[in-house]
Amino acid sequence: MKQHLQRQSGVQNVDVSLIDGKVEVTPKEDGQINTAQLLKATYDSGVSVSELDMTARGKIVKESSGNIEFQTAPNQSFALTPNELSKGLEPLAGTPTEVTVRGQLYKKSSGKKKADTSAPLKLFILEVEKKE
Amino acid sequence: MKRKNLAVLLLLGCVFVPKLEAQIKHIEMRVEGMT
Repeated sequence: MKQHLQRQSGVQNVDVSLIDGKVEVTPKEDGQINTAQLLKATYDSGVSVSELDMTARGKIVKESSGNIEFQTAPNQSFALTPNELSKGLEPLAGTPTEVTVRGQLYKKSSGKKKADTSAPLKLFILEVEKKE
Repeated sequence: MKRKNLAVLLLLGCVFVPKLEAQIKHIEMRVEGMT
């Protein structure tokens, strides 16, 4: 699995802990990593992902429907699952302020054997680390 | 002259201060069925 994930574009390093069942992925300097592709690649390597968390820096933008998104690159943004922390970030939409957040992009639903990796990933913010 | 030195300093500051860019810094996955 480690080699399979390391071949994915944007991946710098992969650390696998068999004891904890934990896989840590370090993106390359440019941070251009496709999380949906990474999730799919993990499933394709024969293991089941129960959770995917990420730490990222980006801007809060408002999309055409009025919902806010977390933009990590001009071509990469994540819809936010509404919670108290995402509400607190709403005033930053459209401003140049950058925030560093830790959030959950994927959690396996209980009872589901096979995950739907084709569905767009939504970011559930767990922690706002920095606002600049 | 002083103004010129100040302008050069500002320019160098812009070049050498690391640019903070939006990006994904770290990803952690919990997996099942790993052997």
